[in-house]
Amino acid sequence: MKTKNLWRHAYIWVLIVFTLFPIYVVIESSFNSTGSLASSSLIPSNLSWVNYKALFNNPAVPYTTWIRNSLIIATANAIISVFIGAASAFAFSRMRFKGRKAGLQTLLLIQVFPSFLALAAIYVMMERVYTVFPSIGLGSLGGLLLIYLGGSMGVNAWLLKGYIDTIPMELDEAARIDGASTVQVYWLIFFPLAAPVLAVTALLSFIGTFNEFVLASLFLQDINRRTVAVGLQQFVGAQFGQNWGPFAAGSLLAAIPLVIVFLSLQRFIIGGLTQGATKG
Amino acid sequence: MNRLAGFTGLPAQIFKISFVAIVDAVLISMFFASTHKHATPLAAVIAAVLIATNFVYFAKFTLPFKFLFPGLVLLVVFVVVPILYTVSMSAFNYKTGNEISKGQAITQLLQTGLAPDAANTTYDMILGKKDGNYAALLTDQVTHDVFIGTEKGTTKLVAGQFKMNTYGIADTAPGFHALTPEETAGADSLISTLKFPLGDGSFAAPQSADVAVRLTQSFVYDKATDTLKNVSLGKTYKDNHDGNYANIADKTDKLLPGWRAFNNFGNYIHLFSDSTVRGPFIGVFIWTVSFAFITVVMMFGVGFLLALALDKKLALRRFYRSILILPYAIPSFMSILIWNGLFNRQFGAINGLFHTNIDWFNSPWLAKGVILLVNLWLGFPYFYLISTGALQAIPAELEEAASIDGAKPRQILRLIKLPLMLQILSPLLISSFAFNFNNFNLIYLLTGGGPTDVLHGKTAGATDILITYTYKTAFGSNEQNLGLACAISMIMFFIVGSLSIWSLRRSKVLDGF
Repeated sequence: MKTKNLWRHAYIWVLIVFTLFPIYVVIESSFNSTGSLASSSLIPSNLSWVNYKALFNNPAVPYTTWIRNSLIIATANAIISVFIGAASAFAFSRMRFKGRKAGLQTLLLIQVFPSFLALAAIYVMMERVYTVFPSIGLGSLGGLLLIYLGGSMGVNAWLLKGYIDTIPMELDEAARIDGASTVQVYWLIFFPLAAPVLAVTALLSFIGTFNEFVLASLFLQDINRRTVAVGLQQFVGAQFGQNWGPFAAGSLLAAIPLVIVFLSLQRFIIGGLTQGATKG
Repeated sequence: MNRLAGFTGLPAQIFKISFVAIVDAVLISMFFASTHKHATPLAAVIAAVLIATNFVYFAKFTLPFKFLFPGLVLLVVFVVVPILYTVSMSAFNYKTGNEISKGQAITQLLQTGLAPDAANTTYDMILGKKDGNYAALLTDQVTHDVFIGTEKGTTKLVAGQFKMNTYGIADTAPGFHALTPEETAGADSLISTLKFPLGDGSFAAPQSADVAVRLTQSFVYDKATDTLKNVSLGKTYKDNHDGNYANIADKTDKLLPGWRAFNNFGNYIHLFSDSTVRGPFIGVFIWTVSFAFITVVMMFGVGFLLALALDKKLALRRFYRSILILPYAIPSFMSILIWNGLFNRQFGAINGLFHTNIDWFNSPWLAKGVILLVNLWLGFPYFYLISTGALQAIPAELEEAASIDGAKPRQILRLIKLPLMLQILSPLLISSFAFNFNNFNLIYLLTGGGPTDVLHGKTAGATDILITYTYKTAFGSNEQNLGLACAISMIMFFIVGSLSIWSLRRSKVLDGF
C-alpha cells in the first residue's frame, strides 16, 4: 500500500510545484523593491512596500479607478442579471405556455455563441449609438454593461431553472389556495427560498465579468474608464521590465478577495460544476 | 394571507403603472433624441421596445412574458441583433476605405475633386455683403480684372463701377458693403465654406479673409448613368459594384474613398479564392483545431490522473485540493499576464532560474508549447473537479463485480472507469473544446498571436487562432476589414454552433424537459 501511494504523492507534488511556481514569483516580486522580474534567484530580497505604494500614488496608473470601474460593472451585472435570470427561470420552470420548449432550446443555442464572435457588429452598432447617446455607446461603462446583460438571460435562466425545478410544487399550490397570485408566489415564496442559489449565481457572474477582457478592451479606450483587466494589461504591456513590480502588486490585491470568496464557497461552486457532469 | 396583502390590489397596480411610466418616459425621450439625429434604425429599435413593453405589461394574457420580458429585450437587442448584423455585414465590402455610404462617398469625391485651374488664377478679395448676403469684390492678381461675386453668381465690373484702394485692389462698388475687421473675424469659420460661381463650372473659393483662388470641379457626377467624369483628364469612372468608382478603361484605377457596397458572397469567395487571404486563414484554422483538441486532451489527462491520485483517502487530501484548485480561482487574465512575464526573455523568471536566454515568444514552436503549458496550468483544476464528480457517479458495484471476476485494478481503470467517464463527461469535453476554440484571452494576452513573420508579409501570427485572427482582421493597425471579419465570424458561428448542437443532441439536454 505504501509504494502504491508513492506515485500519488509524487504526482501531486509535481503538480503542486507547477501550480505554486507563478504564484510564488508574483508574491515575491510584488514585494521586491527593484520593481523588475530580473531576479535570478527565488530567494526573496530587497523586500519593501514600494510597489504597493506606487499603485496608489502614481497618476499615470489610476489603479483605484480601475478597481472601482470593475467593481461597479461587475456588481451591477451580477445583481441585474440574477434578477433577469431568476424571473426567466421561474417562468420556464413554473408556467406552461406556447413556445416554452422552443424558447428554452433557442436560449441554449444562442448561449453557445459567445457574444464576442459578433465583435465587429457590436463595435459598429455601439459606435452609432454613441453618436446619439454617448453615455450608453462605445467607450462607456453603461454600454458595456448592456452588452454583458444581453447574454445573462441565457446563462442564468438555465442554471437557475435546474434549481427551481427542485423546489416542490406543493408550496406554490398551497400559496395559491390561499389566494396568492403568480407574482406573489414569485416574490414571496420563490425568491426567499432561492436566495442562496441566487447569491452563488450572482457571484459566478461577478467573477465572470471581473475576468472579461475582449469586449472591455475594445470598448474602454479612455484610461480612466478601464476595468482592472484592461488597465493592468495595457500598463504591463507598455514597459514590461519596469512595470512588473506594481503589476504584481496590483494583481495580488485584486485577486486575493476573489480567491478567498472562491475557496470559502467552493462547495457550492463545485457542486454546480459536477452536477452538470453527473447528470449527463 | 395578510402577509401578501401589500402586494395586491391598488398598491401593486400603482407600483406597476408608475414603473412602466418611467420606462416609457425614458424610451420616448430616447426615441425623439434618435429621430432628431436621424438615427432611424436606432429609433426603430427603441420604438419596438416601447410598444412591446406596454403591450406585455398591460395585456391580460401575457403573464409568462411579464417575467421573461426584461431578459428577452436585452437578449434580442444585444445578442440576436448583433448576430443578424454580423450576417448582414459579412455580405458587404466593408473595410478601410469603404466605410461610408455611397451618397457620402460621392459628396467626398466631388469635394476632393476640386483643383486650381490651369492658370492658377488668384484673386485679392474684399469680403462684404450685398443685399444682405455675403459677397466679395475679387481682383485678379494678374489681369487686374475686377468681379463682384455672390453665392448666386459673379459679374465682371467695368471701370467706373468700382474704386480701387492704394494697393490696387477694388474695395468699393455700388450696393457693396465691406465687412469690418470685427465682422470678418466673426465670420471666420464661414469663409472657407463660401463659393462664388464663375459661370463656367469653376468658382472662386476664399482661402483666407483676403485671398480667393479659382477652383475647377474636375469631377462631374452624372446621375442618369451613375458615372463620375474627370473633366480635366477626360476619364470616366463607373460603379464597379464592389464599392468603388473604377475607370472604365482601366479597372484597377479606382477612386477613393469608396463606400460599403453589397457584395453578396464576395467576402466568403475572397476567403477561399484569394491566396493571400486563404493561406493564412487555412493555417490559422488548422492550428485552432489542433490547439483546442490537444489542450483539452492534455488538461483532461492531467486532471483525470489527479482525480485518481486524490480519489482514495490520502493524508492531507483537503490541503492538496485547496492548493491545486488555486489556478481555477485566480482571475485568468491575471494568470495569463503573469505567465507572459515569467517567459519574458530579458526579465522572465524562467530564463533567470535556468540561466538560459531563450526567446520563447519568437519561435513558432516554442510559443505554441508555452501556450499549451500555460493553458494546462489554467485548466487542469477544472478537469480534476469534473473528473472527481464523474468518478463518484460510477457505481461502486461495478468495480466490485469486476474485481470478483478477477480484473486487475489497471484493467478496471482502462476497461470500465475510463470509458464510463468519457461517456459521462463528453458534453463537458465538447463544451471545453468549443471554449478553447474561442480562447481569445489566452492567445491575445500570452503571445498576441505572434510570432508574426512580417518580413514575408504575413498577416496572421504563428499562434493566432480564428478569434484573434478575426479581431486583427476587424481592428488591425494596417487595414480594418470588417466585412471579411464578419465572414470569418460566420464560419466560426457555424463550426461552434453545429458542434454544440451535436453535443446537446447527444446529451439529450434538449429533450429533458
